[in-house]
Amino acid sequence: MNGGNKRYTGNRFWLTACTLVFGLGLLVAMAPDFTGGKKPRELTPDDNPVIKKDSAASIKAFASVYKVLMSPRCMNCHPSGDVPLQGDDSHLHIMQPTRGKDGKGISAMKCANCHQPANTPGLHTPPGNPNWHLPPADMKMVFQGKTPRQLARQLVDPEQNGHKDLRKLLEHVNDTLVIAGWHPGEGRTTPPLPYAEFKKAWITWIENGAYAPKK
Amino acid sequence: MLMATVSCKINGKDQTLEVDPQMPLLWAIRDVARLKGTKYGCGVAQCGACVLHLNGEAVRSCVTRVTRAEGQKVVTIEGLSENNDHPLQVAWQEIDVPQCGYCHSGQIMSAAVLLRENPNPTDQDIDRAMGGNICRCGTYPRIRKAIHRAAEMLRSGGKRNGTDL
Amino acid sequence: MGGAMLSLGFYVPSAGKEATIVKTTEAEGFGVELNAWIHIDTSGKVTIFSHRAEMGQGVYQAIPQIIAEELEVNLDEVNIVFAKGDNKKYGNQVTGGSSSVRTTYKNLLKLSATAREMLMEAAANRWKVSRAECYAESGHVFHKPSKRKYHYGELVLDASKLQAPEQVTLKKRSEYKLIGKPLRRQDTRMKTNGTAIFGLDKEIPGMLYAVVERNPRLRGVVKSVDDTDALKVPGVKRVVKVRMGVFSTYREGVAVVADSAWQAMQGRKALRVTWDDTGFEHQNTEQIFRRQADELKNNEGLSFKTQGDVNAILNGASDKIDVVYQTPYQQHACMEPLNCVAHWQGDKVEIWGPIQAPDWVQDYISKEMNLPRENVIVNMTFLGGGFGRKAFMDYPHEAVVISKVIGAPVQVVWTREDDMTQGPYRPGISYRCEGVVTNGEISAFKVKMAGQNNDHWRGGPKDKPNRSTSEGLLKPYFDSIKNLSIQDIPFETPIPTMWWRSVYASTNGFAYESFLDELAVAAGKDPLEFRRSYLKDERAQKLIDRMQEVSGWKKRKKGDGFGVAITECFNSTVGQVVKVSKQPSGGVKIDRVWAVMDCGWYVNPDTIKAQVEGSIVMALGAATMHEIRFEDGLTVQKNFYAYPMPRIYDIPPIEVYIMENDADAGGVGEPGLPAFAPALTNAIFDLTGKRIRKLPFDLNTVSS
Repeated sequence: MNGGNKRYTGNRFWLTACTLVFGLGLLVAMAPDFTGGKKPRELTPDDNPVIKKDSAASIKAFASVYKVLMSPRCMNCHPSGDVPLQGDDSHLHIMQPTRGKDGKGISAMKCANCHQPANTPGLHTPPGNPNWHLPPADMKMVFQGKTPRQLARQLVDPEQNGHKDLRKLLEHVNDTLVIAGWHPGEGRTTPPLPYAEFKKAWITWIENGAYAPKK
Repeated sequence: MLMATVSCKINGKDQTLEVDPQMPLLWAIRDVARLKGTKYGCGVAQCGACVLHLNGEAVRSCVTRVTRAEGQKVVTIEGLSENNDHPLQVAWQEIDVPQCGYCHSGQIMSAAVLLRENPNPTDQDIDRAMGGNICRCGTYPRIRKAIHRAAEMLRSGGKRNGTDL
Repeated sequence: MGGAMLSLGFYVPSAGKEATIVKTTEAEGFGVELNAWIHIDTSGKVTIFSHRAEMGQGVYQAIPQIIAEELEVNLDEVNIVFAKGDNKKYGNQVTGGSSSVRTTYKNLLKLSATAREMLMEAAANRWKVSRAECYAESGHVFHKPSKRKYHYGELVLDASKLQAPEQVTLKKRSEYKLIGKPLRRQDTRMKTNGTAIFGLDKEIPGMLYAVVERNPRLRGVVKSVDDTDALKVPGVKRVVKVRMGVFSTYREGVAVVADSAWQAMQGRKALRVTWDDTGFEHQNTEQIFRRQADELKNNEGLSFKTQGDVNAILNGASDKIDVVYQTPYQQHACMEPLNCVAHWQGDKVEIWGPIQAPDWVQDYISKEMNLPRENVIVNMTFLGGGFGRKAFMDYPHEAVVISKVIGAPVQVVWTREDDMTQGPYRPGISYRCEGVVTNGEISAFKVKMAGQNNDHWRGGPKDKPNRSTSEGLLKPYFDSIKNLSIQDIPFETPIPTMWWRSVYASTNGFAYESFLDELAVAAGKDPLEFRRSYLKDERAQKLIDRMQEVSGWKKRKKGDGFGVAITECFNSTVGQVVKVSKQPSGGVKIDRVWAVMDCGWYVNPDTIKAQVEGSIVMALGAATMHEIRFEDGLTVQKNFYAYPMPRIYDIPPIEVYIMENDADAGGVGEPGLPAFAPALTNAIFDLTGKRIRKLPFDLNTVSS
């Protein structure tokens, strides 16, 4: 695959660069720097899981990904503000907990004060996960209000996605907090696709180049 | 069904509770450890009447399984201070915050974590820390005032949070 | 209480007569049962009995503060005990109608002054000096010339042998040392360290716990029960069918009795109960309000008050205002869910719980369980909120029935879901308001109410209008509005309804005070001056002056977002001004609330402020956040996630002012509530031109 000594500094560059040099095994830094001058990280051969470039297949798969990510189970913890959303109508989380620096809430309102390691039995009780949190304050990964294009570009941008390269992004689909969306507890709907289908779409999207739709 | 043995430190004392492992910490504290200051209000983590400290965090004991306390430190309102003189308790008394009083164990336990992490809270900080505690009597204006007052006491060298966290 | 002591009580020979103060030892001679309200023992310890429930409103503070004033003792030397339920001894004990102080303070003043006089007389006798040379202070009697003194405890024995004087001189208000002062509450310290015992905290030896699955449609009966799995749940001891009174009807349920409350809850989840829900209508909220709208359109109802010729003016008017206001069903949502301990002991039963009306519980249980009244012992704990819900006998009855069946003391614990779904509720009410304004004045004023009558549940007559049809409206309007008609259209549903803080004033107030605002707009007048012109009463005029002064009313400009409302409730009048502004994100923000309370003579200004603040917060929730709805006879809202409560970040700054005058005491716990909703919606009209006629509404989506 795309081994070799390459660097990338932003998704636009990465996509451009990959298109240019795919198969050459060498990547020359030639795109503008989107990181505001921060020194980009050296990449390793394992970073890039793209196995073929197929923008049509990638974008098609992303349509399914987008549908899931914008469903309440995913979007509610990726709000545009600092208060998570709640419920199938994505209302502002009652009692208005805030993100905090690490995404785990603040003082008396930390996520884990209510969200236990597992779901609490009963209707509308807090769903659980050992690592329940929002994205941290310096990497908010907002879904709410994003177009498919904006969301796709944000997802692959390491400066916005928690410094995840594509390999890590691919693996993120196995994160227990992501999977928790399909076990939401009583009184909540699950995302619009079964998890297996979502996972497949996610992988397809990335393995085909992680393209962003036009809009 | 198997009973579980949960060993933990409650208000500074080592205790062993023989309980159903599914039992929420709230009911174990109230009915097994027989500390009645922590209240049942909603059972679904909505109202905050059941807030106590588990390793210093303001957990809602109604949705926290008793087993989560194994080997940990639990502090309830009864253990917040020895003489009812934590700065928050003093401020609550000075300002006569409670009306019916039922929610105030939880209110004070939440406020204690706020002050520990933020000894000089703004109104917005108080809103963000205390939004999880419902008071049906509507004592909110006084809760706000009392937290500011307690913070002032702490700043001017009053007793630090007396909890063994 | 053994040993020598001075203990005094009073009884009221007949309604409207002044109380007679007597020593408890003499009570038999009067042919009355009497319990002491004040005990002073030989150590000087003063014990005062609070005959009323403490549910947050501060009676635990107010009664001692009144008694200590005339008794001349320090408040911190007074020990307060909740009296047991017994209306023969204490008179009416129902803690409702904001009545605890206003109905008893004169007697309590006289009672404590009598005790003081007897102690002073005992001291004067011992010193062989004139009573006029003595004075009482801080639990002592002093002889002024010789500076000698006796502690009350030293005088108790002598005083108890004296006759109670028939006449005592009471202090003037200006002489008060305790009354009228913002003294700190005696119960606060217990409420900051978890030592206050609420109903749910009560434990008695051998007590089991019960959780009850009750018919979710409130009126159905048990068809069958399969308790196989429930009985397998660890800790579960028994499964028992229970039938408890709901006024004159009965509710059925199945109780799971276990070693702990939580185990009982688990057992209940494993129960399989089928219900017979036939024989009564299964209500939908939409249908209830549609029926009310039809009634208001088609029926005149019963006349509550009619003066002048309203209908002729309305019929002849081309530009009458004809609008409908709607207020929802509400739930009390006390923070402490219902619970009660009962211990059946064969020929008697003892009850402990968060109870607003211990005397009613005593009477009711005596009747239902066929026990002599004196064999029903009712103990009040602290109440984690009441608001009317805990002045009701269903939950004590349930506990008694279960204790009797299982032969052990039991605590019945209601879950939040039980508490929210079982009622009784504040009734949802619609009001049709019709009016005509001619030359800037009201020429016709007509209000018709269609909503459930709480009295119907207590055997009240159905052919008479609801006695609370005008509750909330200030009485001077009856003099100044010549053509006025207030009608009640009897309306029933199978849903049990009952008092909710400030009762009908809480819903009427919204209708009357919004309607008056609409009339003021039609008259082209300042809404507060418009009200002033109809409230020709000195106290009301002064209240309006104060409202204008504190809120800067006269400096405001039309459209600034100021609204006003004035309501009466339990002999107190409260005026509120609300200021709102537009939020940048849309919707409306409450900037400030000014409340002015005229409750006449009062005990503790800080308690009053707290009660008004709390009433406004409760009103804010009812106006803008929550309502109870029914679908197919089932209550939709089950817990706070569906019945959102005001939280700390929702609360605007609230300023409370108290009028100073010597009028008789009015209520304090409830009157602060009704004016808020109309003052708010009137402010929103001023800001946006949008008239809100249906509660609740969402502040975040109000637009112009």
